[in-house]
Amino acid sequence: MEPILFTKAPDAGPQTFDEYRAEGGYEALAKALAAGPQSVLNELTASGLRGRGGAGFPTGQKWSLTAQEPARPKYVVANGGEDEPGSQKDRFLMERYPHKIIEGVLLAAYTIGASAAVLYVNALFTDAIAQLESAIAEASTAGHLTIASVRITPAPQQYVAGEDTAALEVIEGRDPLPRMKPPFPTTAGLYGQPTVVNNIETFAYVPSIVRRGADWFRGQGTADNPGTMLFTLPANVRRPGVVELPVGTTLRALVEEHGGGLASGRGVKGVLPGGPSSGWVGADELDVALDREPLAQLGSTLGCGALRILEDGECVMEVIDEIAQFFMAEACGQCPACNMETQTLAKIITQVKNGRGMPQLMDQIPKLAAFAEGKGQCSLVSMPVPPLISAARLYPEDIAHHLEHGVCPPP
Amino acid sequence: MERSKEIDVCIVCHNVDCAARGSIPIGEELTKQLAAAGSSVRVVPHLCFSACEEGPNIVLYPQGTWYKGAQMSDVGGIVAHIQGGEPVQHLIEDVDPALRDLILTMIDMGLVDF
Repeated sequence: MEPILFTKAPDAGPQTFDEYRAEGGYEALAKALAAGPQSVLNELTASGLRGRGGAGFPTGQKWSLTAQEPARPKYVVANGGEDEPGSQKDRFLMERYPHKIIEGVLLAAYTIGASAAVLYVNALFTDAIAQLESAIAEASTAGHLTIASVRITPAPQQYVAGEDTAALEVIEGRDPLPRMKPPFPTTAGLYGQPTVVNNIETFAYVPSIVRRGADWFRGQGTADNPGTMLFTLPANVRRPGVVELPVGTTLRALVEEHGGGLASGRGVKGVLPGGPSSGWVGADELDVALDREPLAQLGSTLGCGALRILEDGECVMEVIDEIAQFFMAEACGQCPACNMETQTLAKIITQVKNGRGMPQLMDQIPKLAAFAEGKGQCSLVSMPVPPLISAARLYPEDIAHHLEHGVCPPP
Repeated sequence: MERSKEIDVCIVCHNVDCAARGSIPIGEELTKQLAAAGSSVRVVPHLCFSACEEGPNIVLYPQGTWYKGAQMSDVGGIVAHIQGGEPVQHLIEDVDPALRDLILTMIDMGLVDF
């Protein structure tokens, strides 16, 4: 395993401008300026890099679509809203490796022909904002901001504010409400102009890809999803925190080798590998490769790599109730189908948890999901479904006990 | 499943979209007219029937009529139906049978506290 992002020791401080230069920092920018925008698009497309914010869209394709747009001006937005419960990877990256992000953003601006870039950063991440501000000043002193201006916009702490078009609304001075798509930001993004919106982590890989080439990047990860990825290990493992691992590492290796297993010494009952909108992976499925397709076969997703681990003796009902309540509370209220689905799902789970429903109530969840499928302006409408359906698949005993007794089974 | 012909409760959606279209005063008027008619049928608020775009939504339960898009001017007709009259035809003409089945199944399975 060769780290691409975390090139310093985990307990070392933020990477300075000089340290970044010493490992080849800002050489990619010089190389790109000499070879032209198309060379960056070619390398990025060949690298197979996928967006690391959760959706996994091919980055080269996104940048190519925006580069083709004739309208001017164009913009670049780096999304560091990071409101996904349990995720800390963007915050860690911004605090420790700000120059990788800045160079990635400048490469995007040069490649698509953008004149300005915005770093959209969770307002609570004051250390990250301070590091990025210093890095912007250093990059400016070094003459790199002649390509595009770079500024920071604080992001509100609201789940939906991390959705890409909601982020654009906030940057334009409005409330974080997702826009109807299409048009996609590649065509009509910030101020209605062509815009590349990528997750903070995604930008940070680009300088290394441009400098060392697509083949080098493909040396790790899987054919469908090359490279490394950041994962956030939760508080109940022995070594919580953010780790960088090749895509395709098994979930078992992530939890047991890198996380050190559960601090309680208990066994793993299940894992949500990609935040609260992913499906549960059961105890006998932990050898699954952390990649899109293998997880999809289990009804789960890679998401942003924020893990939640259920321990032996814990009841899944408390967790899925919390998740259903979370999405109900975080729905922005714009779309009737999403209001309906998030509220009805929360009610179903509450009724089952309190022993006030019949067993078939859980069976209605997929039917409800089918009615709401694709009806929202963003994907929140479908987010609560995978953890609930997979809980019914993997933990029928927990659910049956709640239906009968209205409380968790004894540990 | 063969449904009961009885009507014990009249469930009125109070969720955002139904409420925005006036479901709360409609529920209050139903309560008033049913009391005036001496009916024992209770009007019960509920959070959602998964048909927000069709509201205000009202379900007569356990009999199973789903009235969608009910207006204040329909209250008299709904009360008459509850009292043994004919259903209010224009409120049931276009209902999606699959959605109606989903709504009733969820209530049958314990979604609503009466």
